[in-house]
Amino acid sequence: MNPTLEQLFMKVQKPGRYTGGELNSVVKEKGAVGIRFAFCFPDIYEVGMSHLGMKLLYGLFNAQPDVWCERVFAPDVDMEALMRENGVKLFGLESRDPIDTFDFVGFTLQYELSFTAILNMLDLAGIPLRSADRGDGCPLVIAGGPCACNPEPIADFIDLFTLGEGEEVNLELFELYRRHKATGFHREDFLREAAQIEGVYVPSLYEVQYHEDGTVASVTPKDGAPEKVRKRIILDMDAAYYPDRFVVPFIDIVHDRAMSEIFRGCIRGCRFCQAGFIYRPVREKSAETINAQSHALCENTGYEEFSLSSLSTSDYTELEKLLPMLLDWAEKEQTNISLPSLRVDGFSEELAAKLNVLRRSGLTFAPEAGTQRLRDAINKNLSEPEILDTAKKAFSAGWTAVKLYFMMGLPTETLEDVAGIAELAQKIVNCYYYNPNKPKGKGVNVSVSVSCFVPKPFTPFQWEPQDTIEELEEKQRHLRVSVTTKKVSLHWHDAQVSFLEGVFARGDRRLCAVMEEAFRRGCKRDSWSEHFSLQTWLDVFRDLGLDPAFYANRRRDFSEVLPWDHLDYGVTKAFLAAENRRAHESQTTPNCRQSCSGCGAARWKGGVCTNARN
Amino acid sequence: MREIRIRFRKTGRARYISHLDLTRAMTRAVRRAGLPIWYTEGFNKHPYLTFAAPLSLGFEGLAESMDLRLLEDVPEDEIVRRLNAVLPEGLAAVSAAEPVHKAGELETARYRLTFTGELSQMAAFLAQDAILVEKRTKKGGMKPVDLKPSLAGAVYTPSQDGEGIMEVTLPCGSNETINPALIAAAYNAFVKECTGVEQAADCRVLRTGLFCGENLPFC
Repeated sequence: MNPTLEQLFMKVQKPGRYTGGELNSVVKEKGAVGIRFAFCFPDIYEVGMSHLGMKLLYGLFNAQPDVWCERVFAPDVDMEALMRENGVKLFGLESRDPIDTFDFVGFTLQYELSFTAILNMLDLAGIPLRSADRGDGCPLVIAGGPCACNPEPIADFIDLFTLGEGEEVNLELFELYRRHKATGFHREDFLREAAQIEGVYVPSLYEVQYHEDGTVASVTPKDGAPEKVRKRIILDMDAAYYPDRFVVPFIDIVHDRAMSEIFRGCIRGCRFCQAGFIYRPVREKSAETINAQSHALCENTGYEEFSLSSLSTSDYTELEKLLPMLLDWAEKEQTNISLPSLRVDGFSEELAAKLNVLRRSGLTFAPEAGTQRLRDAINKNLSEPEILDTAKKAFSAGWTAVKLYFMMGLPTETLEDVAGIAELAQKIVNCYYYNPNKPKGKGVNVSVSVSCFVPKPFTPFQWEPQDTIEELEEKQRHLRVSVTTKKVSLHWHDAQVSFLEGVFARGDRRLCAVMEEAFRRGCKRDSWSEHFSLQTWLDVFRDLGLDPAFYANRRRDFSEVLPWDHLDYGVTKAFLAAENRRAHESQTTPNCRQSCSGCGAARWKGGVCTNARN
Repeated sequence: MREIRIRFRKTGRARYISHLDLTRAMTRAVRRAGLPIWYTEGFNKHPYLTFAAPLSLGFEGLAESMDLRLLEDVPEDEIVRRLNAVLPEGLAAVSAAEPVHKAGELETARYRLTFTGELSQMAAFLAQDAILVEKRTKKGGMKPVDLKPSLAGAVYTPSQDGEGIMEVTLPCGSNETINPALIAAAYNAFVKECTGVEQAADCRVLRTGLFCGENLPFC
């Protein structure tokens, strides 16, 4: 053990973030493995350890006998300062070896604002930031996850991206790596061959040309790289790998519980939601598989709490079958089942009581928009009567708090829609006071949380201008004066943070220089509000001669070449454009179980696309 | 229902587990072990576990004590075996038995302190008439404490590789507790006053036993 590291642990807050040694963490014999993989989450331990995808790939990689996958998180400010002071390089939690000696350094891209944290981690690891500066002795720096669907703003820093679901494509990469390592590894040769694997995008093999106005003119592949890189998906969810154990942290993390994935994708097609498009088609696991996997997880972790994970749990077709199966053992073993984002009205009262559906957080709704017209425009199929009915039920059952989630800055939104948020909240307050059995002496609290809409690639709104910071702040002011009761409490997201997220989300490769310069000037924890500085970013943009509003606030023409057009997530551009037009006409689109809208995901011939429709 | 006291070790990587986190880790271990443990009856049911004398973060312990209640009889060696099959690295059950002493009877703890660094002043440090340090009180204030009486029985042995080992018994009960970190802090303050050197020595702490009165093991 490195004595210096041990001494650092005693000087930092929560050393459990860095010590490793948790139950179910995997330690292998160094000499016996051929591939060492550093799975990097560009955020602190408590956030990264809550992430299901990391647990899944950690288990899968370590199930390969010659692969040792370790976890790496972004150190907090105190630890980073000590590491830099003492010349300690970023290390894997399991072996405590510096990760610049590993074969692969893999980042998961969960949100755009973590991009600079990636640069900081590479820097702490002593790995050159730019792909072009890495020699054959450097680890391969790879990345995947939802933000890989527009990886252009970090294309210069990552050797290759994997698009879509990682279970198969990463194992194929390992296989290719084994072959190359056996015959002498050359980075360029490896990358050229890796680009032939479906789902692998090697940005250095694509040349981007720009028009004079800054829009993309063309993206040209070279050395045999494919014209379009298509994402990977797993079709048979019952046969897919799922870990039977999670690493159980010692310190408290954000989501400290066992989790079972019940399906991928979402049938809804809400037009603002990137996840609803890039994970298509919907593919379910059977209730039997979920039950067995869940029970094994609880037994192997000792977790006292367990939850089901998906984009919209109440859309799981076998929920009524699954829940009694789960309750059967969970009750005996004193394990609580928690179900996030559920529609309470779909449950029998008995089942709801057993599941403590309401116990923790009370009632939560995500109407997203304040008026029916705007909810239709974004294809959010939640009607006002549904919301009010459920609220009434909850109030008559004794509940006194409701949480509502909205977005501001949605395409076609007017001040009338903004005021509609306040009106809907007021109607819920009224529901409470019309209830004859309301508890005596108790008031109601309706909490309204409003985020700022950020247009994302591969959604029907990918061409839309994002509201400017000033427009968003004006709407926030309008909402504040529209709320006339103290029973409604308002919370919102910082418009400045959303603006930067909007710039990155639809950025192109020229942002790499901005990213690097901002990192040099100290931006490395943008997802933490106390470390976020928009002014630094604006200065960098100005100094490098780029306009952030070009990326965030500009309406794109349907004919424009988008920076991510050479990536293929199954959903066609023509479908997204049609959905965009429907949005402007406030036309809704049926969900995937009602009828097929021809998005393009049926090309995989699986999941909901081939299921019988009701 | 049967009360069981488990003696366990907390060493290596496990020494960075804080007391609060240790409770959670042990709760989950007991659940994984499938022991028929008694749960509290309240709104938030949880396995009933109590620990004697929490160990500071960073310290190791060889004879830590955890009490739990079992609803059914499980042989003591099986309790130990089942726990050890599921405990994380650094935590290990040593023995299980019905408790002999009440928590209130705990009086002292024995420590092995391993000093590294600049140790040449140790003899002079220990030879002082009084060793005054500031100790934090439960109310949040500070009060002066003389370590000299506790250090009277301490045995200090410099080792060949430049380390110094101190075996010392300190009060560890409901009336008075002295954290061994105070000794290292006092030594460093002493060296600073004599020679001006800051942070002269580092000290690793190993708690070797918990006792009721003279040499009566607590667990």
